[in-house]
Amino acid sequence: MTVSSQVKQTLAALKGAQGILRLYSAQSQDEKAISVYQEALFVTNDVIKNLEERLKTIEFEEPQYKGN
Amino acid sequence: MKEWMIILLRSILLFFVILFFVRIMGKRQIVKMTPFYFVSYSVIAILTALLSVNIIRNLAFGWIALGVWILFPMVLDYISLKSKWLHDVIHGRETILIKDGKIMEENLKQMGMTGEELLRELRGKNIFQLADVEFAMMETTGEINVLLKSDKKPATPYDFGKKVAPQGAPQTVILDGNVMDEPLSNMGLNRGWLKMQLEGMGIALENVFIGQVDASGDLYVDLFDDSIQPPRPKVKEMLYAVMEKSQADLEAYALETKDEKAKIMYGADAEKLQQVLQKLKPYLLR
Repeated sequence: MTVSSQVKQTLAALKGAQGILRLYSAQSQDEKAISVYQEALFVTNDVIKNLEERLKTIEFEEPQYKGN
Repeated sequence: MKEWMIILLRSILLFFVILFFVRIMGKRQIVKMTPFYFVSYSVIAILTALLSVNIIRNLAFGWIALGVWILFPMVLDYISLKSKWLHDVIHGRETILIKDGKIMEENLKQMGMTGEELLRELRGKNIFQLADVEFAMMETTGEINVLLKSDKKPATPYDFGKKVAPQGAPQTVILDGNVMDEPLSNMGLNRGWLKMQLEGMGIALENVFIGQVDASGDLYVDLFDDSIQPPRPKVKEMLYAVMEKSQADLEAYALETKDEKAKIMYGADAEKLQQVLQKLKPYLLR
């Protein structure tokens, strides 16, 4: 697998995880649980942004794999 | 009126009167009653039975006696709530039977218990070794409650130093095929959400016997037809697994990439995800 498709897979997995985290942070009854889920959402968001940035650079450098 | 009709009517009347008063008098488990309540309840029962069958010749006397035996316990009960002294007089105090692992023989004698009876009660609580007991107390109900020595107590997550998320109370939202709206709204959910969950599991509402929602909002159902297996929600474990894999991927990328800036970025993100995973662990994997 090319690097860019690997990164895209990780990105997709993290976005899915983000959705579930958001669901749990809304559904939970316990205060501490909600804050833990929200913190996780935050970090996941950051990581996703970084990955998207990196993806742009990778695709720029290897245009033959773009859009895979 | 015929005799049997009188008895029928009186019995029905007494039935509802007693039902009403017993509800007012409050709940006390039959097993865990102090002698005072036991006697009161018994007398009320006997009087009611006698009245019901018309054995008590003079009706008025019967009702007076019943009235006294119902009202006096209720009044004394109320007063003993306010006054500890009266409570102790009526119900007695708890007695310590074993302290610091040693049996208090004088207290045992006071309670009229032999050593054999004490051992029997302990065995009833699954304690076969006297050596395991730190503290034992006989309550006013005659029941014995035992505190085991710390190393003989069953282990809890606290003892392992493992952090576990507090488990809130679950709400029963479906009982006998009927949706209970109040528990649903206690969790901040409604019938629409329930319908969606059931559709997601591919189960019709009519098939559900009991449905419970736990504190984190997962629905668990028990079906009428026990041969069908409802999909057990493993969302939490999957979420943890996904994040764990992503974190491992990031570490791999950090090693593979030749770009310095990217290496640092991947490394930092992997670290952040790792920390978050640690925090999520007690909540996602119980």
